[in-house]
Amino acid sequence: MTIQAVQTRGGISARAAVLAYVVVCGLVLLLMMVFGLLMRLTQAQWIDIQPDLFYVIMTMHGAGMVGIAGLCGATVMWYFVRRHVPVTTGIFVANLVFFLIGALLILGSGFIGGFGAAWTFLFPLPAHSGDLWSANAAAAYMFGLLFIGVGFLLLHLDIARGILSVYGGLGAALGVKQAFGLAPESEGPPPAVAASTMALIVNILGILLGAAVLVITLVNLYVPSFAFNALAAKNMIFFFGHVFINATIYMAVIAVYEILPVYTHRAWKTNQAFYLAWVLSTVFVLIVYPHHLLMDFAMPTWALVLGQVVSWLSGLPVLLVTAFGALTNVYRSGIKWNTAAGLVFVGAAGWAIGVIPAIADGTIEVNSFMHNTQWVPGHFHTYLLLGTIAMFLGFLTHITPRSNNAWAPTGFWLYVVGGSIFVLAFLTAGAASVPRRYAVHLPSWLPYDRVGSIGAALVVVGVLILVVRFLVSVTSAAPEEAGA
Amino acid sequence: MIQEVVWSISIVLMGILAALFIWVAVGADAALVNYGPVIASAYRLRTWLFGLAVIILIAANYDTIGKLPYVSSLPAMPAGAAIQPVEVVAEQWDWSIKPNAFHVGQTAEFRVTSKDVNHGFALYDPEMHIVAQVQAMPGYTNVLRYTFNEPGVFHVLCLEYCGVAHHQMNTEIKVTAQ
Repeated sequence: MTIQAVQTRGGISARAAVLAYVVVCGLVLLLMMVFGLLMRLTQAQWIDIQPDLFYVIMTMHGAGMVGIAGLCGATVMWYFVRRHVPVTTGIFVANLVFFLIGALLILGSGFIGGFGAAWTFLFPLPAHSGDLWSANAAAAYMFGLLFIGVGFLLLHLDIARGILSVYGGLGAALGVKQAFGLAPESEGPPPAVAASTMALIVNILGILLGAAVLVITLVNLYVPSFAFNALAAKNMIFFFGHVFINATIYMAVIAVYEILPVYTHRAWKTNQAFYLAWVLSTVFVLIVYPHHLLMDFAMPTWALVLGQVVSWLSGLPVLLVTAFGALTNVYRSGIKWNTAAGLVFVGAAGWAIGVIPAIADGTIEVNSFMHNTQWVPGHFHTYLLLGTIAMFLGFLTHITPRSNNAWAPTGFWLYVVGGSIFVLAFLTAGAASVPRRYAVHLPSWLPYDRVGSIGAALVVVGVLILVVRFLVSVTSAAPEEAGA
Repeated sequence: MIQEVVWSISIVLMGILAALFIWVAVGADAALVNYGPVIASAYRLRTWLFGLAVIILIAANYDTIGKLPYVSSLPAMPAGAAIQPVEVVAEQWDWSIKPNAFHVGQTAEFRVTSKDVNHGFALYDPEMHIVAQVQAMPGYTNVLRYTFNEPGVFHVLCLEYCGVAHHQMNTEIKVTAQ
């Protein structure tokens, strides 16, 4: 099968599917950002939301953001990988349908059923609601996550099928031979294929383990005598959660590899270091999750030490390959900056900069003082809000050049400046021992909350501008590239 | 305080990275005629950076892994030193800590467990800074050792989300001068 034949598959329906994804991503992203803003405003004591509703909003924000970050990444991945391998538009659409059903179930579990056990649903909290939610409400949440997981599983399996039909094996599609100098770099897979392969390997494993712990939780809801080891459940939840949220970045980063060269007119050079980075990242993402359990002293010490060391190692591919690659690709390239290129470049920067506080928190000695403080949302918002989401917003602006107009730079700067203020407020509060996930804050913590609220408000306005410009442009004209 | 050190180092490193991206972005509109030698130099620089990163990685991990908070990794207490066992039981949304009064210089060994869901036992000093923490889990007893080195009212806050009154799950520990 030639690449040309692959490229023409899907036609109009593929373009429509991509646009549907982007519209859903944009709108859900905005809704979840408003939820986040409401939480910060409550903590700042600028508005009054009662704790029971606060924790429902917190649960919806967490689940919604993780899910929508996954959908943003999937959009970018599918758009670019289908240039190289055959994929099925129907499966891509099915994933969106599964996502929407799952999202409705989750929103219903929270705003109708009062479910508020946080998106991580740490076993056995869903069954210990303090009479605030019913077993049915908790079950609706679990089924919602299961629906979303099934959709992603189908999508990854379909991409795996396409990749295997062209490359013959996942190792070849990841560039394993090139990584170890066993085959010429020039014969390696394109970046979109290597990244998609990595994402599907880790996400299929993560989703399967996540589904297992969801089923365990469901059984425990209705049969409380069904006991399960809480530490084992915690391991399964954090393996699933860590892998899924990290895969969102590894899918979205394809936007950096594919879009930045369009504006710099320099191809993204794939070489041995590039392939080695992707092979190592695949392994690291799968084995680093114990760094979420560093304060679980009952864990084997070797596993926790592994979590720390791999946390440090994980930073190397990000900093020395992707961030370094973005810098050298742009360096004196003669690029004429626009919002799309700027957002993608910010995405690479956000991911790289977020590595620093992440490594700090992954260090056991530091974790003793920072774990579950606001340092944690500080570090993950750095590489999700200013990384994954920046890459997606760059993609969104890129595929609809008409949205790249006079208002777009305003949206860009509000988003970048607001996002920076927002994450720095979290990190500073974390260093001051302010706990995360508290509906009510002490008076001495309010300055951090208020600065963070201002940053969050700027982000919401900035993203609103970018998303509205996108919606206006797609309703006034078909995007130039979405069907490519 | 370790938090201030970590915050300062992180902000400096994050700032350096941000400055690097801004510098490249600002200077990017002037095109280089001959990119080849530049990219070759960049790859050589990357090799050096990789070497530097490996040295930092080994040094930082060697240093910090020598300071694990886990009881099995702690140095032996001096002969004759008394360790005060403390039973800590977490339950939505309350702490039971026995005993809950100590004196300066005393080493407490908190044996932390939970009756229902996951909680987080975080010890805050009188200035409301975290000085130690460990998870409280149903079915497990996690052991945390801490030596009080100043008098005052310490606070215990729950740091693992445990339901609607999570933020109210706190208590006090009194430490008196010897």
